[in-house]
Amino acid sequence: MKTILEEVRAGADGILVVGNHPQIVQAILDFDYLAGKKSPSVVGIISGTRKAQKFFYGTGEVLVPCFKNVRAVPETLRPRVKWMLNAQSGRRTFESTVAFFETFPDALGGHLFAENVPEIHATELIRLFGKKYIIAGPSGVGILVSGALKLGAIGGTDASQIRVSKLATRGSVAVVSTSGGMTNELIRAVSGAGKRVSFSISIGGDRFPVTGLSDVLRLAESDEDTEAVVYFGELGGSDEYEIVEMLEKKELTKPIVCYIAGVIDEAFDEHMQFGHAKALVATKDQSARAKRSALKSAGAIAPETFPGFLAALMELPLPDIRDTVVDMDPLESRKASILSTREIVDLDSVPVFVQAGALVKQKENAFAGAVMHALLGREVSSETVACVENIFELLIDHGGQVSGAVNTMISARAGKDMVSSLASGLLTIGPRFGGAVNEAARAWLEGSESAIPASEYVEKKTRAGALLSGIGHRKYRVGIPDPRVAALSEFASLLEKHPYYDFAREVEKVTTGKNGNLILNVDGVMAALLLDLLAEKEGILKAELHELVDAEFFNALFIIPRSVGFIAHFLEQKRNDEGLFRLPDELLFEKKSEKKKGK
Amino acid sequence: MSEYKAKRILFGEGYSGVQLRTGDSMDIPGGRWVAKVDQGVKKRFKQGLVSVDKPEAETRSAIAEWEKKGFTQFILEPYFEHKTEEEQYLSLERVRDGVRVLHATDGGVNIEEHPEAVGRFVISEESDIAGIAAKIGLPEPFLLHVYTVFNSSHFSFLEINPLIVRGEDVYALDAAVLVDSAAEFFASGIWSDDDVVKTKAKHVAEERVEALAATTPAALKLSVINPDGALFFLLSGGGGSIVIADEAQLEGVGHLIANYGEYSGGPTREETYLYSKEIIGMMIQSKAQKKALVIAGGVANFTDVKKTFLGIIDALKERSEELRSQGIKIFVRRGGPNEKMGLQLMRDFLQAEGLLGAVYGSDVVITQAVDDAIQYIRI
Repeated sequence: MKTILEEVRAGADGILVVGNHPQIVQAILDFDYLAGKKSPSVVGIISGTRKAQKFFYGTGEVLVPCFKNVRAVPETLRPRVKWMLNAQSGRRTFESTVAFFETFPDALGGHLFAENVPEIHATELIRLFGKKYIIAGPSGVGILVSGALKLGAIGGTDASQIRVSKLATRGSVAVVSTSGGMTNELIRAVSGAGKRVSFSISIGGDRFPVTGLSDVLRLAESDEDTEAVVYFGELGGSDEYEIVEMLEKKELTKPIVCYIAGVIDEAFDEHMQFGHAKALVATKDQSARAKRSALKSAGAIAPETFPGFLAALMELPLPDIRDTVVDMDPLESRKASILSTREIVDLDSVPVFVQAGALVKQKENAFAGAVMHALLGREVSSETVACVENIFELLIDHGGQVSGAVNTMISARAGKDMVSSLASGLLTIGPRFGGAVNEAARAWLEGSESAIPASEYVEKKTRAGALLSGIGHRKYRVGIPDPRVAALSEFASLLEKHPYYDFAREVEKVTTGKNGNLILNVDGVMAALLLDLLAEKEGILKAELHELVDAEFFNALFIIPRSVGFIAHFLEQKRNDEGLFRLPDELLFEKKSEKKKGK
Repeated sequence: MSEYKAKRILFGEGYSGVQLRTGDSMDIPGGRWVAKVDQGVKKRFKQGLVSVDKPEAETRSAIAEWEKKGFTQFILEPYFEHKTEEEQYLSLERVRDGVRVLHATDGGVNIEEHPEAVGRFVISEESDIAGIAAKIGLPEPFLLHVYTVFNSSHFSFLEINPLIVRGEDVYALDAAVLVDSAAEFFASGIWSDDDVVKTKAKHVAEERVEALAATTPAALKLSVINPDGALFFLLSGGGGSIVIADEAQLEGVGHLIANYGEYSGGPTREETYLYSKEIIGMMIQSKAQKKALVIAGGVANFTDVKKTFLGIIDALKERSEELRSQGIKIFVRRGGPNEKMGLQLMRDFLQAEGLLGAVYGSDVVITQAVDDAIQYIRI
C-alpha cells in the first residue's frame, strides 16, 4: 500500500478550500505553477457569496469555482478532492470539518487554520478523524510536500519565497514544528544549508493538535524520500518526550535535529505564557533545558543555540539535487484583471457575403430580412438583406473592454437583472460609443450632396474641430488594410453606381494623406454601402434617407446585434458571479480636495 | 475563573456561598464563616488570603484587611465542620484522549511530589465513569455530574481540594477552574469573558497592548520584564520571538532584557504602529545608559513585512529625535512577504535618522540582529 506521502507525490493533490483566504489560495496556485503542474490543485472554494473567484495561474488567470457548502460540490469535481484547507473561524471549524470528511470520506487529510478552536472540539476531531487522516492544526500553517502539495500558508505566501526555499524540488529533510513562523524559518534554513525539504507539517501551537508529533514522526520514518528530520519545539507540553520514547523504542531511526526554544523563561520571576497556547511551563520537566537534555540523552541532535542548530543542519548528508530554473519576473510584474468575460465572437474571422461580383448565399438571412421589413415597412432586396446580415455578424460584439460591455458587466455584478444590465450597456451608445454608423451616414449624405471636393469637405469639418465619423483605426493603416472593410467593400460590385461609397473613399484619400491610420473603417464603409444599397436597390429618395439618418435608423443596425453581445456578457457574469465590482484604488486617480492639500 | 463562579456552575442553586465585592454591604450574619480572596490568586493560604472558621466580626475585619491590600472580590461560605483525615483531592483535566482524573485520598498531599499517592484515570467515554468512581470510592452520580458539567461548560481544568465525601454526599471546600477561553461562544449562558479572572497587568504599556489586542484578530503581546532594561524587543511570531529572546538569555544578558512580546497574524500598519509606540515609549523612559532596539522575527508566512514595517517607522518617526539623542541604535532581522521592500524602507529610514545599527534579511540567521545589539550595549 502506498503511504499518504507517496499518493500525494503521485498526484493526489486536489484541495477544497473551506472558507476563504485569497492570499493563501494564490500562494498555493503559485506553488503549483512553479512545481510545473498542468492545472491548479485548488478544486474549489466553499464560500457562500459568489460562484467563482479569479486567481493567477502563472501569468495567466483562472476562475476557481465557489460553492455554498461541501455537499454542493458537483460529482464531476468530487473525485479530485483529497484535501481540505479549512480557513474558517475557530467557532465554525468543527462543524465544517465534520461536514467535509462526511462528504469526502476518501480524502487524505486537511489543515485547520484557525486559532481559538475550542479544546473539546479539537479532542472530538481527534477521536473522529485522528487515526484515519493527516490533519494539521488547529492553528499553524499546514502541510507541504515539496513539488506536490502546499496545503496552507506553509513555506510563505509570495511566489519569491517559494522559489528561494526551493519548494518545487523534492528533497530529503522532513521539517516539523509547532510554531507556524518557525516552520517557515526552518524550511528556509534547510534550503540555505543546501538541502531540500521532503515534506513539512506544522503541527500547530494549540494544546490538542489533531495529528500529533509522534504521528508525523512515524510518517517521516516510513517515508522513503526522508533521510533526516528537523524539529523545532518550545517550552511547555510534553511532546518532546514522545520523541525521546520513539528514539528509545527505535521507532524513529532516522537522525533528528532539534531546537527547543524557551530558556528566556528563566529570566522571568514566574512562568510566562508565551505566544502559543502550549508554551507555558506547568511542571519542571516542561522547561526548554530539561527537554533538550532528555532529547540529547536519547540520541537526538539538540544544540544549545540556534546558530548551533543551523550548523547541525549543515552536517546532514548532502543529496544530489536539481532545481528547476524559473524566471520570476513575469510572475512578479503580473497585474490582475478587474472584470472577466469570454470571447463572444471570433473577432478575427471575416464574414464574406460577396465574391467575384456575386452574392455568395451562405445563409438564408431570414432574420436580417425580417428586421429590415419591420424597420422600413417593405420587402428589401436580397443584396440589402445580405449587407445587413453582414453588419449584424460584425457588430454582435467587439470584446468585453468597450464601454457598453463594461457597463453591462458592472451592473450584472451589482446583482441587477438582465433588462437593467442590458439597458445600462445600451445607455452608453451615443456620440462616442457605437453611434459612428449613423454619424458616418450623415457625413456621406451631406458631403456628397454638397458637391464640394472631398478635400474641402474634410478641411471644413476638421477646422471646426469635429472628428470624422467612419474614418480612422488604431491598428489598421495604409498598407495593412482592415480585412472586414475589404470584404464589405465587395458589395459595391453589386451596384450600378455607388456615390456614397465613392465619396467615402475620396475622403479617405485626403485623410490618409495626413496620417496612414486615418483609413475608412468598418462603421464608415457600412454606412456608405447601406446608403448606396437603399438608394439603388430599394429606390429610397434622398429626402427619406435624411429622415432615416435624423431618426437614427443606422444606430438600430448597431443596437440590434450588440444587444446580443451585451446579453452574452451579462450571462457570463451571472455564471461566474464574482461579487460586487469595485475599481482597484491604483486604477483611480483622485484629485485631493483643497482641505487635504499640503498634508 | 473565580471560585464563586466555578462553584455556582458546578452546584447550581444548591450552593450556599456568596460573592462579596468591595462596595457591597458587608453585613455578615452570625455563625462560623470561611472567607477567601477570590481573584484567581494562587497559594492563597500561604499568603494569608484565607480566613477559616471565624465568627462574623473577625471575618469582616479579615476582608477589610485584604481590601487594604487592593483586593476587591471575595467568597464567603458557612464553615463546614470536618476532620483533616476526611480531606481528599480530585482534579479533572482535558487531555488528548478524553478527561484525565487525578484522585488522592489524602487531600493534604503535594501531588507533584508524591505521584505514588495519586490515582490516575482517563474518561474517554461516559461509560468509563462507573468503574473509575468505584475504584476511587466516589459516588458515581457525583463524578458523572462533574464530568458532564466539565464538558458542557468547556472547562479545561478543575481541581477540588479538599473534597469531603460522606456516603452519597460530597462537599467541595475549595475549587479552582480553568475554562477554555476559545469556547466563550459555546458556553454562553454559563460563563462569559467577564467571569474569567485576568492576570493583573503590571505596566501601563501592558494594559494598553492588552486593550489593543482585544480589538484585532492579529496577535499582540507584551510583558515588561525590566523597565530600566537596555535591550528592547519588537519581535514577531510566537516561535521566532522565543528563539531571539533565548539568544539574549544564552549570551548572558537576560538581566538586561526590558521586555518580551510579539506581534503576529498579519496586523495592519495602524495596529503595528500602536503596538510599536508602547515599546518605543518605554524605551525612551528607561534609565539604562546604553540602549538598543531589536526589531526581529523569522521568515513570515503571511504577515506583510512592508506593511508592518511602515507601522513601526510611523512610531519611530514620532520619537526619532529623542531616540537619536539617547544614542539608541536599532537592529533588524526579518523575512517574509514583501521582504525586500520592507527592509529597504527600514534601512533608508534608520540611515536618514541616524539610528541604524544593522538591517538583515532572511538570508542571515534569525539571531544576528540580537547578537549585534548585545555587542552594541556591551561596549
